[in-house]
Amino acid sequence: MKKFLKRLRRRRQLDRDLEDELRFHLEMKAEETGDVPEARRRLGNVTLLKEVCRELWAFAALESWWLDIRYAFRTLAKYNGVTLVAVVALGLGIGANTVVFSFVSGALSFDPGIDRADRVVLVSATDALGQDELSRYDPDLRNFRSQVKSLEELAAYRLSPVNWSDNSGLPERYVCVQMSASGFAVIGRQPILGRKFEAADERADATAVVVLTHGLWQDRYGKDPSIIGKIIRVDEVPRVVIGVMPAGSRFPEDTDLWIPLVQGKADNHDPSLFGRLADGVTLAAARNEMDTIARRVANRSPNTLKGPAMDVGPVLEMYGVYHARPLFVVVLCAVGFVLLIACVNVANLLLARAPVRAREISIRIAIGAGRRRIIRQLLVESAVLSFGGGLVGWLLAFAGLRWFDASMARFPKPAWFDLSMNTRMFVYLAAISIGTAFLFGLVPALQLARVDVSNAIKNGGHGASGGTRGRRLSGTLVVFEVTLCVVLLVGAGLMIRSAVKVYGTPIGVNTANVITMRIDLPEAKYPRPDDEISFHKRLKTRIESLPGVEASAVTSNLPIWGQMDFSFEWEGMPPADGGRLPSVGGLVVSRDYFRVMQVRPRRGRVFADSDEVKGSPAVIVNEALATKFWPGEDPVGKHVRVARHGTAQSWLTIIGVIPDIHQDFQDPSAYDLLIYLPYALEPQLSTFLVSRTRVPPTTLVKAFRREVQSLDENLPVYDVRSLEDRIAQHHMNIGIFVALFTIFAAIALLLASVGLYAVVAHSVSQRTREIGLRMAVGGTARDIVWLILGQGFARLRWG
Amino acid sequence: MGKEKQPGELVQGTLDMLILKTLTRGPMHGYGIASVIQQVSEEVLRVEEGSLYPALHRLELDGIIDSEWGVSSNNRRAKYYRLTALGRKQLVKEASNWSRLAQAIARVMEMA
Repeated sequence: MKKFLKRLRRRRQLDRDLEDELRFHLEMKAEETGDVPEARRRLGNVTLLKEVCRELWAFAALESWWLDIRYAFRTLAKYNGVTLVAVVALGLGIGANTVVFSFVSGALSFDPGIDRADRVVLVSATDALGQDELSRYDPDLRNFRSQVKSLEELAAYRLSPVNWSDNSGLPERYVCVQMSASGFAVIGRQPILGRKFEAADERADATAVVVLTHGLWQDRYGKDPSIIGKIIRVDEVPRVVIGVMPAGSRFPEDTDLWIPLVQGKADNHDPSLFGRLADGVTLAAARNEMDTIARRVANRSPNTLKGPAMDVGPVLEMYGVYHARPLFVVVLCAVGFVLLIACVNVANLLLARAPVRAREISIRIAIGAGRRRIIRQLLVESAVLSFGGGLVGWLLAFAGLRWFDASMARFPKPAWFDLSMNTRMFVYLAAISIGTAFLFGLVPALQLARVDVSNAIKNGGHGASGGTRGRRLSGTLVVFEVTLCVVLLVGAGLMIRSAVKVYGTPIGVNTANVITMRIDLPEAKYPRPDDEISFHKRLKTRIESLPGVEASAVTSNLPIWGQMDFSFEWEGMPPADGGRLPSVGGLVVSRDYFRVMQVRPRRGRVFADSDEVKGSPAVIVNEALATKFWPGEDPVGKHVRVARHGTAQSWLTIIGVIPDIHQDFQDPSAYDLLIYLPYALEPQLSTFLVSRTRVPPTTLVKAFRREVQSLDENLPVYDVRSLEDRIAQHHMNIGIFVALFTIFAAIALLLASVGLYAVVAHSVSQRTREIGLRMAVGGTARDIVWLILGQGFARLRWG
Repeated sequence: MGKEKQPGELVQGTLDMLILKTLTRGPMHGYGIASVIQQVSEEVLRVEEGSLYPALHRLELDGIIDSEWGVSSNNRRAKYYRLTALGRKQLVKEASNWSRLAQAIARVMEMA
């Protein structure tokens, strides 16, 4: 190695020595034969000889690469027009790919914070059994856990947002998960501080405890290790902090804290079950076993089961980003097409230059360059080009991501969203840059290296390698290019169509000037329905007295923000098959909800003061429900009954029909059947406060918070946003993909037309002589134009 | 590359050995080495410059021969090569290999 470096430093000396040595040889020879030209001829190809010797000195390889690169720069500078187009084309392709990669890699490398997450499963009862039935039979999982063999561990969890108050800072709303002690064993991660739950913590008489996520510990307590042992009020219940989990561990998703799922508590209904598969057990085997156990459970209940009772599925499927995978793949393909088009384009440009370069290359071959060497030289040129493209692409990607990030600033980002320029992205950028260099460089390089030396030198390049074969090749490339472009355009068209459908479907409410926020009353402090009703009544009075507020109401669900599910029956309904009642969506709203949303009833009336009395029997339905159950009839005055969690209400009376409002937005063309219950009838702890304002809604946020806290200083107000913002965020998801596709298709179209232009222009310049001849023998300009156009269209048609 | 074999072309792999053997006569420049091989073989073996110099440089890099610049008999600057200790050992090895090979070939060719 040392020797190598020494030689590297002395390489000029070595070069001169070789020169001297060969000159001496030549002189000796000339002296001997007395004939200098003969001696020179005998010596053979001196350049090649030198080259071979240099290569022996090892660094020659290095040096020749350096020379190639320098030469490539010179050549590219000479043909600066072509170079510019190529670099920009590649830059667009590479830039677009990098942007998409940063999305996709963020999504695909998303870490749910579970050890060996692929072995963790969600266990759920199917409709036939009913989750409630299951939890009634085995609320603490004791029976299941003792019977199940295919799962190493089984645990239950329940999401329940909580209000968090301590001596430091404002009360805050956090995502809390009630979880069995075995849950941490399933997650498989150890706390970084303190301990996790033990079985004893699940007992109803045990000290209430809480385990924090790393995020909460960091954000609220500045990573203070003395937090362990402190007492925090969680939904007004004092709890001892016993542990902190490592960063990234937030099971199931976006969790802030965990509290034990207390055994035998009445409100433990609807837990979700999750477990870790035992070693070597397949998903199907676990499903079978769970099903068998569930059937034993079901046999004790009067209903007989049809079909499977239990489902076991990978936990990873729970995360939205896994469902988005196919979409990501589609976008990745689309952007790959763009890069491919860019490559084809550049390959075409290089091919178009081939005849000009054929002469130069012939000379290089003639004076002793090997074909491999020529191909290498040309590939180095491609590499330099794609390096330039990579640089432009990086700049474009950087700018694009910054812009995207800025335009998304007002929306909360999903956990997997990471748009920073990280190492992984650089590796990807470098890899595709090199990859593209081969992709677009190889064909022209091979083509050129096959040049017929003597012919090319004699003809000054004309008709050498730019002959029929070259033209046919570039023609094929353009056809390919146009095909890809058409595919992208069609894709973009489809995307736009579905987007227009979503955007174009009215939600059914006036979204302007509506502020929404969430308020969740802790059950410990508001145990009776009357407490909830009176709190919201007082809050409404206070809010509506604020200047700029027109009306205020609470609702269980916002438009396009889901709904509750009820089973439904009406008086005089024919008995349903198998005793199962139809299912409808429901919202619990307070009196002025429809006033805030500016929705007028189609028939009857909306809620009034008289419906605010506890136990009021008035309900409102939407048009979709009315036409489904009473086609052609007036539903006002009909009696209906709804049930949730198996407990049926008494008979209710329909007082009005309102126009359809979108609640679930899976399919924008269909409306759900909806029933609206008055808040006094079915008070909710967790609600959205919605208010119509006369001023820009976000200016009132502080005043709203103040009013809430003046009623209950430990009650957090959270998720405060205008309704328009929420809708915009919802639309954004599809909007992103539409925007991406449109941009890709536009780039593709641009590139394809540049490519087509280059090829046609090139073939015209190749045929100048032929065209001249045609003119001379009487062809008109019009004939010539048709000839050229005909050729262009012939290619397009194939595309 | 199907080039036809010319009479007098060296058997592959023997050029190194011939160079080493020639250098046992003392330090010599490249032209001298070529001439000696040509003379001694009575013009049968012709050393192509295109192979000679690369071979010399390779041997030098491997430490089998050594070189220094000197003045030739007609007062010109010339690069003189000479055997190193390693080169002598290499020559002994290659010579014995060669004679074994040559005898073997001879025996096959003289087969009755």
